[in-house]
Amino acid sequence: MKEVLSTVKSCSQIAQNVYSLTVTLPESAGEIKGGQFLNIATGDNSRLLKRPFGIVKAEGLDITVCFQVKGEGTVALSKAKQGDKLSVLLPLGNGFNLPENAKNIVVLGGGVGIFPLIPVIATNPDKNFYSYIGFRNDKCVCLLDEFNKSKKLTVVTDDGSYGQKDNAVNAYFKDKQSVKADMIIACGPPVMLRALKAKLKEENDSTPCLVSLEERMGCGIGACLVCVCKKSDGNNARVCKDGPVFDINEVEL
Amino acid sequence: MANLSVNICGVSFKNPVIAASGTYGFGREFNEVYDISCIGGISTKGMTNLPRLGNKVPRIAEGNSVILNAVGLQNPGVEHFIKYDLPFLKEKGIVIIANVAGSTLEDYGKICATLDGLVDMVELNISCPNVRAGGMALGIKPANIEEVTSLAKSNLKKTPLIVKLSPNVESITINAQAAERGGADCVSLVNTFTGMVIDLEKRKPVIANNTGGVSGAGIKPIALKMVYEAAHAVKIPVIGMGGIMTGRDALEFMCAGAKAVQVGTANFADVNAMPRIIKEMDEWLNAHDIKDVNEIVDTLKLN
Repeated sequence: MKEVLSTVKSCSQIAQNVYSLTVTLPESAGEIKGGQFLNIATGDNSRLLKRPFGIVKAEGLDITVCFQVKGEGTVALSKAKQGDKLSVLLPLGNGFNLPENAKNIVVLGGGVGIFPLIPVIATNPDKNFYSYIGFRNDKCVCLLDEFNKSKKLTVVTDDGSYGQKDNAVNAYFKDKQSVKADMIIACGPPVMLRALKAKLKEENDSTPCLVSLEERMGCGIGACLVCVCKKSDGNNARVCKDGPVFDINEVEL
Repeated sequence: MANLSVNICGVSFKNPVIAASGTYGFGREFNEVYDISCIGGISTKGMTNLPRLGNKVPRIAEGNSVILNAVGLQNPGVEHFIKYDLPFLKEKGIVIIANVAGSTLEDYGKICATLDGLVDMVELNISCPNVRAGGMALGIKPANIEEVTSLAKSNLKKTPLIVKLSPNVESITINAQAAERGGADCVSLVNTFTGMVIDLEKRKPVIANNTGGVSGAGIKPIALKMVYEAAHAVKIPVIGMGGIMTGRDALEFMCAGAKAVQVGTANFADVNAMPRIIKEMDEWLNAHDIKDVNEIVDTLKLN
């Protein structure tokens, strides 16, 4: 983990309110695992907090993140120009750990939750990925190419304007018998993760399942205790340091 | 290189830059980024006798040049600190200030007795805006401040006592004097200002606690004035804080009368803020041919 001054290589819109930002690091930040994230300055000095984004791609010194414009910080970041300098702290969090013997991996992504799942597919060529990704509508659909390495890719939208009208969790459970999943990895809005947990319970399905959580963060390194989630045992876990990836049974969603 | 070491209440700091409570945990995470033995000291995460889970999330929001937090004193309890974190911090050779909080007067007495002689200093958190009982309730009225300070002091035979003052009060000078009368060896200020950040789309406050403590660069002018006033109202030393982001900021607080400073929110903006601020202070002193940082303390010339 280190903080470096990166140089913006490109920043462009890839879907409604969604941008892809690539920065070049001055030096290697070490190995980056799928599901890890970074903290990046917005370029607006009146915004004191860096923004935590899942790392989508790490190629040499080039790091790509994608983000939704939500507030003034992300508005500022969306205006980043080639050559701009942005301070970045990385890599952060634990990432997805796929066991050696898990061959068939189901990938469930919802909206901007698809981003941290992408490098897991890219960096595990020996696995069979069955990806089910859902968006609000056709204007939100992006980065499908990144999921093309999947053995099977199903794209759904809430309103049916692209692919089937469905959600990612339902789409997978319709296919479940044919997939024979060894593991499920998921990231998306809380409502999606809660539906996934409920469905697994309902079907008495004990397939190991890892979820990546999102929370408003302070330091990003586990010191400030701002971004906690509730664990099933009643204690708190730090999303930034103990996560963001947790066993679905370990946390309350 | 200028001399950066300072002495407060007989405790020697290698430099006047102390990590502010709640922003630096117990130092372990920052030590993964840089060796924290370079900092002057650490005021630990606010601790209570028993573990606390803190508030619901979201616990943080942002405004122009400020942040707002309401963590609610999540901490593993003082016994866990003594067993697990204290040995780690002792190895680092930095001044260890235990920041302590409670819900009742008795809580404060008990935790001070537990820590007496184990840490370098105790900082009484009577100004946390984010817990309903105790906390700030004890830190607003001068009579309450004097009472809790005096009780804490009576339980600290060996360890110097810092009282951390809230800025959300009628008079910072009267409250600093109340702490001094109660037997405080030092006061630190300012804690965060209570505030609110609103999500207009949802018409709801952003953080779950509705209100929280405002900190960061935006509060610096207000904090500087309060530190100046407090430093000239009491004879005991003052530790200044509030929006320090650079070495110059830190030196301004010392110029206003602080003997040392605490750095909090800057640690979120820049993970290397502490070592950078120390370096910037040294550079400024060298550029101005000042050999000792203590020379700048209380040198403000009013117009």
